[in-house]
Amino acid sequence: MTAPDPEFLEIFRDEAGGRLDHVVDTLLALENGSAAADAVDSLFRDVHTIKGAAGMVGLADVSALAHVMEDLLADARHRGALATEHIDPLLRASDALRRHVAGEGEPNAGLIAELAAVQAPGNGTTAEPHQPVAPAAAPAPAAESRSIRVPAEKIDTLLDLVGETVLHRRRLEHELGANGHAGHGIVTDELDRGERLLDGLKGAAIGMRTLPLSSIVTPLPRAVRDLATETGKQVELFVVGAETELDRAILEGLSEPLVHLLRNAIGHGIESPEERERAGKPARGRLELRAEQRGSIVEVTVADDGRGISEGTLAEARRTGSLTAVLTQPGFSTAGGVSAISGRGVGLDAVKEQAEAFGGSIEVRSEPGLGMDVILRLPLALALIEVLLVERAGNVYGFPLTSVEEAVSLGETLSLGGRPAIDLRGRSIALADLAELMGAAAAAQVPRAPVVVLTASGQRVALVCDALLGKEEVVVKSLGPLLAALPSYLGAAILGDGRIALLVDPAVLVRAAAPPRAAAAAPSNGNAPAPSNGHAPAPKVLVVEDSLTIRELQRSILEAAGYRVQTARDGRDALAYIGGDNGIDIVVTDVEMPEMTGIELTESIRAHATCSALPVVIVTSLGDDEHRQRGIDAGADAYMVKQRFDQHDLLETVERLVGR
Amino acid sequence: MSSVHVRLRVGREHYAVPIENVLEVAELGALSPLPGAGGAVLGVRNLRGSVLPVFDLARVLAIAGDATAPRVVVAEHDGRLAGLAVDEVTDVVALEAEAEQAEAGHLSGAILEDGRLVGIIDVERLFSSLAGQAA
Repeated sequence: MTAPDPEFLEIFRDEAGGRLDHVVDTLLALENGSAAADAVDSLFRDVHTIKGAAGMVGLADVSALAHVMEDLLADARHRGALATEHIDPLLRASDALRRHVAGEGEPNAGLIAELAAVQAPGNGTTAEPHQPVAPAAAPAPAAESRSIRVPAEKIDTLLDLVGETVLHRRRLEHELGANGHAGHGIVTDELDRGERLLDGLKGAAIGMRTLPLSSIVTPLPRAVRDLATETGKQVELFVVGAETELDRAILEGLSEPLVHLLRNAIGHGIESPEERERAGKPARGRLELRAEQRGSIVEVTVADDGRGISEGTLAEARRTGSLTAVLTQPGFSTAGGVSAISGRGVGLDAVKEQAEAFGGSIEVRSEPGLGMDVILRLPLALALIEVLLVERAGNVYGFPLTSVEEAVSLGETLSLGGRPAIDLRGRSIALADLAELMGAAAAAQVPRAPVVVLTASGQRVALVCDALLGKEEVVVKSLGPLLAALPSYLGAAILGDGRIALLVDPAVLVRAAAPPRAAAAAPSNGNAPAPSNGHAPAPKVLVVEDSLTIRELQRSILEAAGYRVQTARDGRDALAYIGGDNGIDIVVTDVEMPEMTGIELTESIRAHATCSALPVVIVTSLGDDEHRQRGIDAGADAYMVKQRFDQHDLLETVERLVGR
Repeated sequence: MSSVHVRLRVGREHYAVPIENVLEVAELGALSPLPGAGGAVLGVRNLRGSVLPVFDLARVLAIAGDATAPRVVVAEHDGRLAGLAVDEVTDVVALEAEAEQAEAGHLSGAILEDGRLVGIIDVERLFSSLAGQAA
């Protein structure tokens, strides 16, 4: 993380100042009874926007304080009114925010605690001043969070039981369906009720065992900045997949190895700005912390674009057959000398030990000059994923729903560089037989066979199968350590009818189906999709966002990547562009906006006479699951979490959807 | 010294697995083949809600088995599980005789019983070899 661009800070200060004026006016109007009907809504939107924008320009203090204000206001919005005794703390918080925005804030932990306390259930309507209550006093104040210690095995037992209950539920549905009971009103109602209860139970049980990676990444951007400064390097940290849930016990022990890996990357990997420029790289190094659930494991990767391993190390890796083994030998060091940052040696052996202590593993990938990826693979106590089930040549396969782009039926096939392909709305996608790709005997294909389009690592493949069996939430079971060498599988799942579905790793399929790189790059290949070489105008992105800061930030990111950008201030404004002849190729929209929200905008686009297929990306604050679900229900194509300058995520998503 | 073993037959050969490495003996059941896996992997099956990889023991030991191997010995070592498809599970006995040390890859030794040679399977070594033959 680098310091925020002064230009954006300036825009942010202007915007936040205006919004804070509005917040204070509205609060005062509420106090003297002259407020408009939507006063609480507008307070919520202002504070929400300040929170999001502050997060994006890296002002964590502002973001944290705005966050508790937002919680309080969300609660008020929910109840339909803001309690008068909350006005004073909100006014004081607004003043504190203003000082922080101006860069002269003091620590506001006290204020945050106060706001969190008044918001706690039971305190919302009382007019009594909030007094600290002695712990001995009964009943205990609800604001005080009590905790109990429970052995991890007990929670694991609970998780196992939840997994079994999910399986049982699927069996029950299967049996009821097979016996024709599923249509009955009462049975259907009770099944629905059971599904909701099970969802709640799952969430509660998994929440006991897991936390998102974001819970430990907060100090990392700062650490990276300090380390980079110390070594005279320029480094930018990108965090991708911060919402990925990890086992709590692992997460606690993960901070140290992660800092260690970041330290290594800065100390040994990323070169000095001069050296980078000589090597034709941007002066500023790129450091990425990435987390992704893959079946029953989570992959946490620290990737840098630095100098990578030496030729000598590469030669040794070739000799021994494993780069990981070479680099994780005790005492191995890629460091030429001893630096203040990394001490003696890289200490990857320590990281390896730690990963193995968690029941995980480590892999290192690197090439001289091309940076290094260190991948930690960590187990999940209970892994539930949604999959699309398909059948091919007698086997049932499951694809993670997150990788499934769409399913169509097989029509005319084309040839792309001598390989079969299909045309999907003007895009050519490599076509492969699922059975063949998996290494099974390829039976004859059914007429107009269903084709599933999978996407992974920015590439697509269209897979021919015999039948689509529908989507299902499954418990991922490992194939066991003896089959760990099989790369194609994320695991297996047991279905309602007792059959086994093989869960396939989309990344492996996409790689297997991809044409060799050389062929794809050959200019003579007339069938290849046109690269963005200037013949066609760059895709046009409509950025819909009520915060000027975020809007301008997104514009600069997208324009720097070569897109044309149109901006709109809310949903209604956006619809005017979409309706007209503006050649919009994709919409990137915020959720909370005046006039028309991003959800309503998405619904309007989907119902639009001519633009219903326009890709829509919804961008919201971290961990807002309700909006996420509503966005998906409304028909959004992708969902992104606002993060500090997370341009990688934004660009990748936009690129995926416009197929550039 | 005697120890309890599960005796089994693969084709015309007889083997024994230490009872502490055997969780249960089951029918072969419905196997889902695992495309892309090595020939020794018959597939995976649902064993009371868990996924069990099943290996063709005849193929692993490189001997001729019957056409079908209808029984599965569920073997365990160090938390790792594998189903070993065999032609017949004959009995569970305490082997009285001292095993001869044998250097054969998957065996810890062999004993002569009723004029028949019975190979004692070393599950740890067998598993290392299975992991190598998975892909």
